[in-house]
Amino acid sequence: MNALPHPVLNVVGVSKSFGAVEVLSDISFQVGKGETVCVLGPSGSGKSTLLRCINWLEKPDAGHVYLNGEPVGVTSAGVVMNDRRLSQIRTRIGMVFQHFALWPHLTVLQNLIEAPLQVQRRPRAEIHEEALALLAKVGLHDKRDAFPARLSGGQKQRVGIARALAMRPDLLLFDEPTSALDPELVGEVLVVMRDLAHEGMTMVIVTHEMTFAREAATRVLFLDRGRMVETGTPDQFFSRPATERARQFLQRYAAEAVTAQR
Amino acid sequence: MIHDFGIVWDQRGLLMSGLANTALLSVIAAVVSLLLGSALTPAMMSRRRAVAGAARAFVDAMRCIPFLLFAYIVYYGLPSLGINFDNWSAGLAALMLYNTAYMAEILRGAWAAMPREPIEAGTAFGFSGVRLFRRIVLPGLVLSAGPVVGNQLIQIIKDSAFLTIIALPELTHAASSIQSRYYVPFAAFITAVALYWGLCLVVEGGVNVLRRLADARR
Amino acid sequence: MTPGDISAFAQGAVVTVALSVAGILIGLPVGLGLALIRWARVPVIGRLVALYVSILRATPLVTLLLLLFFALPNVGVPIDPYSAAILALSMNTSAFNCEIWRAALLAFPKDQLEAAMSVGMSAGLRFRRIVLPQIARASLPALVNEMSLLIKVTPVLAVVGVVDITRAAVRIGAETYEPLPPFLVAVALYAPIIYGLVSLQRFIERRQAAAEAA
Ligand SMILES: Nc1ncnc2c1ncn2[C@@H]1O[C@H](COP(=O)(O)OP(=O)(O)OP(=O)(O)O)[C@@H](O)[C@H]1O
Ligand SMILES: [Mg+2]
Repeated sequence: MNALPHPVLNVVGVSKSFGAVEVLSDISFQVGKGETVCVLGPSGSGKSTLLRCINWLEKPDAGHVYLNGEPVGVTSAGVVMNDRRLSQIRTRIGMVFQHFALWPHLTVLQNLIEAPLQVQRRPRAEIHEEALALLAKVGLHDKRDAFPARLSGGQKQRVGIARALAMRPDLLLFDEPTSALDPELVGEVLVVMRDLAHEGMTMVIVTHEMTFAREAATRVLFLDRGRMVETGTPDQFFSRPATERARQFLQRYAAEAVTAQR
Repeated sequence: MIHDFGIVWDQRGLLMSGLANTALLSVIAAVVSLLLGSALTPAMMSRRRAVAGAARAFVDAMRCIPFLLFAYIVYYGLPSLGINFDNWSAGLAALMLYNTAYMAEILRGAWAAMPREPIEAGTAFGFSGVRLFRRIVLPGLVLSAGPVVGNQLIQIIKDSAFLTIIALPELTHAASSIQSRYYVPFAAFITAVALYWGLCLVVEGGVNVLRRLADARR
Repeated sequence: MTPGDISAFAQGAVVTVALSVAGILIGLPVGLGLALIRWARVPVIGRLVALYVSILRATPLVTLLLLLFFALPNVGVPIDPYSAAILALSMNTSAFNCEIWRAALLAFPKDQLEAAMSVGMSAGLRFRRIVLPQIARASLPALVNEMSLLIKVTPVLAVVGVVDITRAAVRIGAETYEPLPPFLVAVALYAPIIYGLVSLQRFIERRQAAAEAA
């Protein structure tokens, strides 16, 4: 793969072990502006861990992560960043969680406003206006004063996405955003994500939704047992997988995807 | 300071008999109040309004009276009703009566929180009445209420220290008398604290065993 | 009861309530601080806090009070009955509050914290804006319960000469040679306060359960 001139995200040789188990092994890839990269792989292959290493929720054992050319987690001098520096960088990387992780003591609108106001300290009026626009965009304008407990799973996840967008991030990370949802609610979340892809948001998405990956991804990464086994355009990956592991994986999931669509 | 602890060491017989009294008092009170409480629990859940109301009133009253005042009332009050007590019996009676209410409430809570299905399954398999209670309900009740009952035993141990005010020779009273005789307050009371701590660790150890048994059976 | 007795009870009630409130106001934040130290696994200090909590939870308030009141002057720290009372109450209740706060912290969902980190909140902000509001709500019934337990042990403060409700009752009983009536009055003063707290706890629990069900 050719190096991009100015990647938004640059992951270089990241490795991570839990105890004796190596969960990520020397992972490198880049994500250019406006790209939608889908990370695929069997359960336990290290997808979540990779995502969490990008914004340093998990500290990589080796390797580096750069956001717009700036190092994440360790300073250029090689010192581990303090909480404040790290927090500053994290404001530019949005994250959407599998189980939503909305703050239950705040209303929908307050969930969106909390971090821009408290962390970024942007003017309240501006944040407020933007948050309302974001809620309209994900179709939840009328739910702005509801508490998260009152929402359906699909609505919660759309709030989760709006909350991440309210930070005006350079990069959005999704960890299986639809796998905790009832099948009939998956669609409404994927629609929002597809729109974001078209608008040119830079995203890294861990997902098991093969149809979505095929249609919306600009590139696919395939992880297996902590290694990046394959990467390429969705077309290459889904029609002509290069490795045996990817073929096996696709057979299982493609079969499922086809049955699910019927 | 070391000299002070030497004095306490010389008086170890007194402290040990205080510790023994505290342990004995607490265990008897716990066992009796658990038995009385388990008789009171069905009354609290009775369908007869008057029975349930009376049981509830007794439990709520006990829960709103400080134990120390209750002990005073038993100690001074019962003689005026013509019942004469030494301070041992008065203290023990106060501990037992007071904690009967707490035990009844603990058992009621555990019973109410028990899943209904296993009991219904017991009925479906032909268990009923006392046999249903003994074979199906009781084991689950002991396991789920056990840790809370253990905590209540710790509470009883600590409440028993209040009985020093009616001159019952338990652990705190023993420490008090050593301190007033030899003026070694730090050594005397810190030793008593250590002994209470040890006693509670033993109870907590038992509670943990019970909790592990319960966890394995969830 | 003479008017003098009534005023003695009234003054005693003020003292009982004031000491309880002082104990609660000191014990709540101290307990939270201790819980945070244990939660963050601060080396050595975390272990010491665990030891402190374990010992204090096993120590009867009388014994602790007598220890503080008699032993502190012995090591050169003079202390009056009221300070000893407040110190004993807040030490005792802070140990129990620590366990309550800690249970809430341990049960706090990890992804809530990670969501706060992912939007760049610093440790202080995470705690103030995300963790504290939620653990305060979760701990509230247990904290109110602990307050009622604290008030239930305050009669023992009279042992070192604090002139509270119980002390007033003891004195009047000794003067009239009829100990029972003044103790019944004391119970009548205590019971509504404790009943109020117990009802408050039940009310909060029921409201939270209703909110969850909705
Ligand atoms: N904090 C942790 N401590 C120990 N092991 C961990 C931890 N987090 C993850 N693992 C292990 O690391 C491996 C990779 O986990 P990860 O969650 O990254 O997989 P995944 O690809 O996201 O799987 P899934 O599709 O099931 O979400 C698994 O074997 C998991 O058990
Ligand atoms: Mg995962």
